[in-house]
Order: sequence, then C-alpha cells, then structure tokens
Amino acid sequence: MTLATAAHAPEGGTTAPAVRIRDLTVVYKTPAGELPAVSEIDMDLPAGTITGLVGESGSGKSTLALSLLNAVQPPGRISSGTVEIDGLGDVVPLQGDKLRRVRGGQIGYVFQAAQNSLNPLKTVGKQLLDLGRSHDVDDLRALVSEAKELLGRMGLDGARVLDSYQHELSGGMRQRVGIMLALVLNAHVVVLDEPTTALDMITQANILEIIRNIHAERGLTTLVITHDIGVVAEVADQLAVMYGGRIVERGPVRSVLGEPRHPYTQGLIRAIPRLTGDIDQARALPGRPPTLGTIPERGCVFRDRCELRMSVCDTVEPVLERHADQLVACHAVAGQEPDGGAPTDDGQEQT
Amino acid sequence: MISGTGIVKTFRQRGDVLGKNEVKALRGVDFTIPEGGAISFIGESGCGKTTLGRIIAGLETHDEGEITIGGVAMSSLRTRAQQPHFRRIQLIHQDPYSALNPTRTVHQALHDPLKLRARETGRSSQWIYERAEELLGLVGLDPGYVLPRYPHQLSGGMRQRVVIARALTVDPDVLVADEAVSMIDVSLRLGILRLLRDLREQLGVSLLYITHDVATARYIGADGDMYVIYRGQVVESGPTETIINQPVHPYTQSLLSAIPVLYGVEQPGAEQVTPIDSLTTAAVGETVDDAGCLFAPRCPFRTERCTRERPVLGDAVPALQDAEGRVHACFHPIERQVAATSVQAP
Ligand SMILES: Nc1ncnc2c1ncn2[C@@H]1O[C@H](COP(=O)(O)OP(=O)(O)O)[C@@H](O)[C@H]1O
Ligand SMILES: Nc1ncnc2c1ncn2[C@@H]1O[C@H](COP(=O)(O)OP(=O)(O)O)[C@@H](O)[C@H]1O
Ligand code: SF4
Ligand code: SF4
Ligand SMILES: [Mg+2]
Ligand SMILES: [Mg+2]
Repeated sequence: MTLATAAHAPEGGTTAPAVRIRDLTVVYKTPAGELPAVSEIDMDLPAGTITGLVGESGSGKSTLALSLLNAVQPPGRISSGTVEIDGLGDVVPLQGDKLRRVRGGQIGYVFQAAQNSLNPLKTVGKQLLDLGRSHDVDDLRALVSEAKELLGRMGLDGARVLDSYQHELSGGMRQRVGIMLALVLNAHVVVLDEPTTALDMITQANILEIIRNIHAERGLTTLVITHDIGVVAEVADQLAVMYGGRIVERGPVRSVLGEPRHPYTQGLIRAIPRLTGDIDQARALPGRPPTLGTIPERGCVFRDRCELRMSVCDTVEPVLERHADQLVACHAVAGQEPDGGAPTDDGQEQT
Repeated sequence: MISGTGIVKTFRQRGDVLGKNEVKALRGVDFTIPEGGAISFIGESGCGKTTLGRIIAGLETHDEGEITIGGVAMSSLRTRAQQPHFRRIQLIHQDPYSALNPTRTVHQALHDPLKLRARETGRSSQWIYERAEELLGLVGLDPGYVLPRYPHQLSGGMRQRVVIARALTVDPDVLVADEAVSMIDVSLRLGILRLLRDLREQLGVSLLYITHDVATARYIGADGDMYVIYRGQVVESGPTETIINQPVHPYTQSLLSAIPVLYGVEQPGAEQVTPIDSLTTAAVGETVDDAGCLFAPRCPFRTERCTRERPVLGDAVPALQDAEGRVHACFHPIERQVAATSVQAP
C-alpha cells in the first residue's frame, strides 16, 4: 500500500467506509421526457459489509451503482439526492479532476460484462499503467507489484496475466483482472456489477470465494449486483431487492431469504429450481419487469404481477416499513403485524 | 430414438500438422435419447457440450463413431440423404438474438420454413398462417402482438420462445436446447423450461438439454438420464436423481458443490467437494494430454494410479457401477452427499 493515493485511503483493514444514499433519483431522457430509473431511494451500505442488490434486468441496479461513482452518463443524470461516503462526503456534486481521482482511487467498480470491458488492443499491464497515470500514481513499479500480488492472491500468474491481451484470457480470468483493476489503487468501496453472469458454476464459485476473502482481508465495503439471488445468498450479509427503480425489501440476507415478505422477493426465490425436494415447487415469476415507460407513476410498481394486489395498491405507493429484521414496502405486509410501528427513516436502523 | 456411440471430434488449427494445437473436444461419447424422453449433458464451459449438440443436430461433422436416428445409421448415408433425418432434430442455442435475423419480422421468420413444410405436405397457403398462429400460441406468445414485430422489439424470453416456435415448424422429434436459458433472467428461466417440458408432454418431442446448471437440468429431465462430461469424456451418467443425490465421481461432486446454496432456506451438502482451481493447473480443454485420469490435475482425491492410467466409463472399477444404470469413470468412487437440502421451517 505504498501508492500515491494511499494518503487518502483509510489505513489497515478496519476502516471500511460506510455509504449513505438518500432520496436518490436518477432519470434518463427519453422521447417521452425524463423518466426515473431510480426513484427516491434511501439505502445504506454499512461499513465493512457485503450488500447484495438483486432484481431483474431493467430494475435500475446498474444505474444505482453508477450513482455511487457519480458516473451516470447522458442521457441520464442524477436529478436529486445525495450519496455520502465516509471520508469523502457527498459525491454527487463532485466534478472533473476530483471526481476522476475518487473513481478507482476510493471507489472501485467492476463493470457488468467485465469479461468484455478490457481494451482488446492493449495488454492488461499497459491498461494498468494507463490507470496508474490517470490517477497520478508516482511509483508505477509499486503499482505493478501490487497488481501482481492481487492477481497471485486470486490464483493467477501475475506476470503472465499482465503480458496478456484480453482474448488470451478465459472468462473467469478476465473477471479476476477486473477485480484487480478495481482494487489496485486501494479502493475501499467496491461495486461489482453482475460479477459472475455468463460464468459457469465452478468458475462462479471461485470468483465468489475470492470476493468474500478479498473483502475481508482488505477491509472493504462491497456492493454486489446480480439478477441471481443465489449469488447473493453465497456472498452477502445484507440483501436489498430492487424493482422498478425502488428498493422493495431489504435486511440481513438470511432473514430475507428465510422469511421473504414482499411478494416480489417471494417470487424471485420461488423461481430458483433446486437440487432436492419437489421440483414443481419452483415457478417462474409471471409477467415481465417494467421498462422506463411502463413503470406506473402512482401506486405500487409491482402490482401488475402481484397476486395480493388490492385497490389501495393502484393509488398509493407503499413505503419501506420495518417488520422484524426487514424493511418491506408492501400494503399487504403493512396490514399484518408491523412490529416496528412507524415508517422508518432509513438513517437510524442500521447496525 | 437417437443414439450415439463412440463419438470423437478433434479440432485442429489450420496448418497444425504435428497436432500440437489440437483440441480433443469429444473423446468417444455414447448416449441414448429415448423416444419422448429427456436427457441432459452437464459440464463446465469448454468440455464439449456445444460440439456434441451440433453433431447431433447435423451441423458439425465428427471424426469417429456413429449417430443412429430412428434405427438408421447415418454413416450408411450420403450427406444429402442424411439431411431429412437431421432435420427431425432442431437446435435451440443460448443466444436467441443471434438466432433470429434482425431485419425480419417474426412473421417472416416463421413463414419460410412453414411454406416449405406446406409444400412437402401438400397444404394450402392459408394453413401457413393458421399454423404460425397455432405455434406461437403453443409457445405462450400472443400472435397478434409478436407476428409484425422485429426481434429487437421483443424481450429475451419472447425471442427465445420465437426461436422455439420456429424449431417446431418442421415437426421435430427432438429439441436440442444448448444453454437455452442462460441469457435470460433467473426469474423468467423456468417459464421457458416449463414450456420445453410441456412440449414434451403435449407433442411427445424428446429433449436433449445441455447446460452447466444442474438444477435446471433436473427441472427439465428429472425422469431421464444425466450425463456428466469433462474434457470430452463422459465421467458419470445415470438416472438424474441418482446422479444428484448419490454422485460418485469427484467431478460430478465438484459441479454440484459449486451451486449456490440458498442460505436461510437451504443448507449445504455435508460432504461438499472443492476442486483444485483450474487456473493454478491448466485450463479446461487444454492441449496437454497425459495418460492419466482427465480430472486428476484438479481432483482432491487422486492417487498415483490416477496419474498413470485413464479410467474408462463403466469399467474403471466394478464398485458402484449399478444395475439401475449409473456408470462412472473413477478409480476411487465414493458416494458423497454434496447437494444442498432444504432446512425445515422453524
Ligand atoms: N442510457 C440509457 N438511456 C435510456 N434508458 C436507459 C439507459 N440506461 C438504462 N436505461 C433504462 O433504465 C432502466 C434501468 O436500467 P439499468 O440500471 O441498466 O437496470 P439493471 O442494471 O437493473 O438491469 C431500464 O429501463 C433501462 O432501459
Ligand atoms: N470450431 C472450433 N475450432 C476449434 N476449436 C473448437 C471449435 N469449437 C469448439 N472448439 C473447442 O472445443 C472444446 C469444446 O468446446 P464446446 O463444445 O464449445 O464446449 P462447451 O459447449 O461445453 O463449452 C473447447 O476447447 C473449444 O475451444
Ligand atoms: S403493495 Fe400491493 S401490489 Fe404491491 S406488492 Fe404489496 S400487495 Fe402487491
Ligand atoms: S480416477 Fe482418481 S483422479 Fe480421476 S476422478 Fe477418480 S479419484 Fe480423481
Ligand atoms: Mg445492470
Ligand atoms: Mg457451449
């Protein structure tokens, strides 16, 4: 950790920063006007935890994640809200040079389809040096040795990988390179967008183990995004379920999986075929997720696919309320035993 | 019924006379797809699944072995005479987008094969329209909605259903589904898999399901056989539930152990097996080829014998090759409970 950016980074493994997202709305400009892909989201990434963000394609996961780096690209923009990161403050107003340093330096991002996001014309080592220069790293040699160490840590021959072009690496190797590039500048907030999609099961299991171990060793605050709730079950401490630009349920991963309360969460879990037990218990979630143009403006965004829909669901948007360990946004659940009482202001409840 | 015996396929780089860069994609694979049955091939990427599927569908040649379709050995026929047989086997592959021509509407995509079919069977052009609507209904699509649309105007799941409808235009006996749902959200996959199951029930079409995802293979073919393939060799096969609940080959056990456990709902199998990381050995599908067990470089249970001798499917050792049809290729077979099981609700 002898890099130039180390001055900004928390020292040791105990100072993972917390992330607080408040009232975040991100809109995309479309022919029908600016439409929200992320709507008034409040969410915390508690320091040192792995949070899994789950939802079907189009639910707004990548958009939310890009907001953490203030990296939403036109035609999109953050139209309201704050993203506060310990030691950095709110990243939403950051611009230019300052923003560039934060990305990669403090927040590492492994892009969706990292398997294909490397530059095919440059070796991995060359791309590493480009990254170092763009972050004004003085000691490039230290950067290279840090990269080799990280790659070695992930079971790869670092020197060989740095000499390789993308096409010479397998899917699982590219994903590891993506993780190395996200961490090599000593970032302590790491976002992994669909890190195992398109990998087979054994490779996926290897990558998930690497994520768990590196998270613990380096003292990170990690966000893992996936459409596969099984992946989250394997790595995450906290689970947030996203639908139509909203968080509809969240809480500790085992509570949410063991006792899902939102009909959407229940549907996602039921859609996973299992290795043992009655196969016909598994069922696809009926219908399809909404697109920007079809997300209803009023009422519950999930109602078209919900078996418990009531008349209030058409007009009033449910808000997150506490139920035991979980926060749930559903009128049907709110009618049952809410033991937390009032709607929760997200700020206070995290451990 | 369709069967294959001793299917061998080696890919050689052009100009590679010494065979240094050859890839043994299939090393003598046997299989049987029963009439109206469902079987699955499971294994990691690069182990030869797609190559096998393409050979069975007549889209790829093979070097050795025999494919027999409805009792007719394909080697006895000239290529032209093989075609009507292979047309009874339709391939559905993983990417429904590349399978459909982006400049043609669903109507156009179905019209051509149906026109051919109408000519073969002496039917009217009116039939073509009726049949297109019937097939789309069968795959769960609204013909009025999808017929005029282009592939990019449909969701991934809808596109895959269109691909299935197009495969059905020739009234196939077998559908080969190669990772057919891997590009679709987990939440919607079972809709497509359910459709394949229904088609098997309603039309009697057999299924060959190819995947790295064992749980979906069970969903499709719990009553059929599962074949576990590693580097071009079937290393274990037998009734699907036996392979999942009492696997004996360490590779099968590794695949099953790698499936995410739904903690909170499930608990991991008691005897999970973690293979040695392939990247610290050589890559799957590698060219180096020593004499021993193909899985030995990654096998946590290998012995000296394993690196010397190659175990043969059904014949490695007598133990645990059972009467119910389970066979394996391992010198040290031990049943291990590796599949996750449900935790009882409190
Ligand atoms: N550049 C863009 N222009 C317009 N709409 C977009 C753009 N990027 C994403 N969207 C829309 O925003 C919604 C959320 O997308 P995304 O954040 O990628 O979801 P996810 O990662 O959950 O699949 C989707 O409806 C998507 O079509
Ligand atoms: N057309 C080809 N030319 C050369 N090698 C090939 C070709 N097709 C497949 N291979 C090789 O054959 C092996 C098996 O590939 P494939 O059948 O696609 O496996 P799977 O579908 O199980 O991932 C791999 O090593 C792959 O690189
Ligand atoms: S608020 Fe209503 S429509 Fe929405 S999930 Fe709950 S019951 Fe269903
Ligand atoms: S034969 Fe030996 S190396 Fe091969 S799978 Fe069995 S125990 Fe492992
Ligand atoms: Mg995304
Ligand atoms: Mg394949």
